[in-house]
Amino acid sequence: MNTGSSILTTAAIGLAGSASAAPADAVSANDLLTRIRSTDDAVRGPAWQGAGPAGAPAVAPLADLMNDADFEIARSAKRAIEVIVRHAGRPGAAREREAVQAALVRLLKHAKANVRRHAVWMLSEVGDDDAVGPMAALLTDGEAREDARCALTRIPGAKATKALEGAMRTASGEFQVALADSLRARGEKVSDHPTRKLVPTRQTRVTAG
Amino acid sequence: MDRIARRSFLQRTGVAAVGAAALGVPQVVSARVLGSGEAAPSAKERLNIAHIGVGGMGGGHLGYMLARQSRGDVNVVAVCDVDEGRLAAAVKSTGGKATPYRDYRYILERKDVDAVVIATPDHWHACQTVHACESGKHVYVEKPACGTIEEGKAMVRAAKANRCCVQVGSQGRSQREAFLAHQYIANGMIGRVHTVTCWHYATPSDDNPVADSEPPAELDWDLWLGPLPWRPFNRRYLHGVFRWLLESGGGQIRDRGAHVMSNALHFMNADHTGPVSIETRGRVPTRGLWDSAIEMEVTYQFKNPDWTLIWAQPGKMVPYFDRDRVKREGIRESYGAVYQGEKDQLVVWVGDGQVYTEKKAVDYQLPAGGVEVPKSPRFDHHEDWFEGIKTGRKTIMNVEAGVATAFLCVLGNLSLIVGRKLAWDPVKQEIVGDEAARRLMSRPQRYPYVL
Repeated sequence: MNTGSSILTTAAIGLAGSASAAPADAVSANDLLTRIRSTDDAVRGPAWQGAGPAGAPAVAPLADLMNDADFEIARSAKRAIEVIVRHAGRPGAAREREAVQAALVRLLKHAKANVRRHAVWMLSEVGDDDAVGPMAALLTDGEAREDARCALTRIPGAKATKALEGAMRTASGEFQVALADSLRARGEKVSDHPTRKLVPTRQTRVTAG
Repeated sequence: MDRIARRSFLQRTGVAAVGAAALGVPQVVSARVLGSGEAAPSAKERLNIAHIGVGGMGGGHLGYMLARQSRGDVNVVAVCDVDEGRLAAAVKSTGGKATPYRDYRYILERKDVDAVVIATPDHWHACQTVHACESGKHVYVEKPACGTIEEGKAMVRAAKANRCCVQVGSQGRSQREAFLAHQYIANGMIGRVHTVTCWHYATPSDDNPVADSEPPAELDWDLWLGPLPWRPFNRRYLHGVFRWLLESGGGQIRDRGAHVMSNALHFMNADHTGPVSIETRGRVPTRGLWDSAIEMEVTYQFKNPDWTLIWAQPGKMVPYFDRDRVKREGIRESYGAVYQGEKDQLVVWVGDGQVYTEKKAVDYQLPAGGVEVPKSPRFDHHEDWFEGIKTGRKTIMNVEAGVATAFLCVLGNLSLIVGRKLAWDPVKQEIVGDEAARRLMSRPQRYPYVL
């Protein structure tokens, strides 16, 4: 067992569902980042696990750490963003969620593809109509378009549907078929571009006999 | 749903509409012949079986089927794995007779294949089960059935729509002493059960994390990921250890919870129900790739009838009473459950291929008019599947039951991930009052590995 693990309870993670939850800046973003940069698991681990209340101000600097040379620091930064997003997504925390959404939307133009991809997945959890346009812009990003398609599939509402429909009209090849699948998954009727999910493509080199 | 054979489809049109599909149901370029959905899949005497995933548990299933093949019960006609080393070993174990495949969809195209055994990592279970059912194959799929709520619902729909017999590999229900424990409880011998408390040792942590790297030459990493978002290879994803990651496994609560809690739902006659609330506390690793909780306690509250299910990891182990038998049979008493009734309690140890219970339940004689509970033929989980295929009756761990159990595992982890208690509508099978948590009921799949 990893003795360096820390206790996470529903209370410690963020007073779930409580309207009186700590304000977004209760955990200083600077303090959080200092601890995330630590090479000591006992410092860094509890930092990312308790990152929730740091909120929107911590999102961009954490994203920059996602490409740190130390893969444990990079992973901790990524997980800290996840904790922040799930904390902000709790019922009754609309303003925190909107602030985190805005911070994530800004990351969709980040220079690093892994950051853009993570941001769009995070938006799939807490994004609303305001995030749809910037998310849809990634549907033409060769490094992140499949993640954007998946993320938009998860966003409820007509705006996300229209974004997927618009992209399907201009896309080509397999990605066009994938977009059609997204629309069907959302309950839309799409008569063209039948799914090719059952079409095998990968040959083995192993032989019988 | 309209269907069209892939080859004729490609010959005629390349890409074209296939006619109107039902709202929300995808048109499929598939191996099944147009109109074949009118008939249930084959239930002939000697089934042609294909194995998808032949390492770990998959190797065990293959060995079982080869033994049956030697008795003339089945034909093992194909094996499939994304790891060429494992695939070559599997072919060799069949005497070179089974056809090897890397891509399971070649198997689904074969009209001579009646049934598939799916023993891939957890993130593949639902997708491959849905695809197999849509291709008219009966399915034995390893537990846990699904990784998300949406996946589970899709599995149930696909099995029903295509009249496929799906058995989920929580084989504890088929064991002799599980039957005896069930019979004892169902006949009121401990009174109304109000609490079931499971115990299980902790999930391991990744204490030797390594950097991402190039995948080994024998592995098709992209196909291993399948429905998951793409990411670089890391040696700590596989083999076997995939179960310690939330996306591809989910920790002990999914690996063994799918056994121990499967028995709880079965004994409580609760496969068709679900909890109304789920609350999790846990301790997650501070480092490493594996992100499943090391320790956790999940409380599931059921209503009408009211009872509480507790998954406690590690919880409070109850030592098995016969120490000689523990040594003789290698009883893994480090997991199990206590059924607390209003009159008495009953302990059930282990819960998978091994199930043990107390002497009072083993010795219990069912009185005339007593409640009879389901029993797998020869206490054999695979045999129950074959009988289900041949007779059309529901198997002991049918797809609805498998999905109901997997939902418990999924929801336990979800409560921990979002850090709050969840409210669940067991009729609609959805999280209520929490939009962000609701969205985590699905995880859109990477194309083309979609449901």
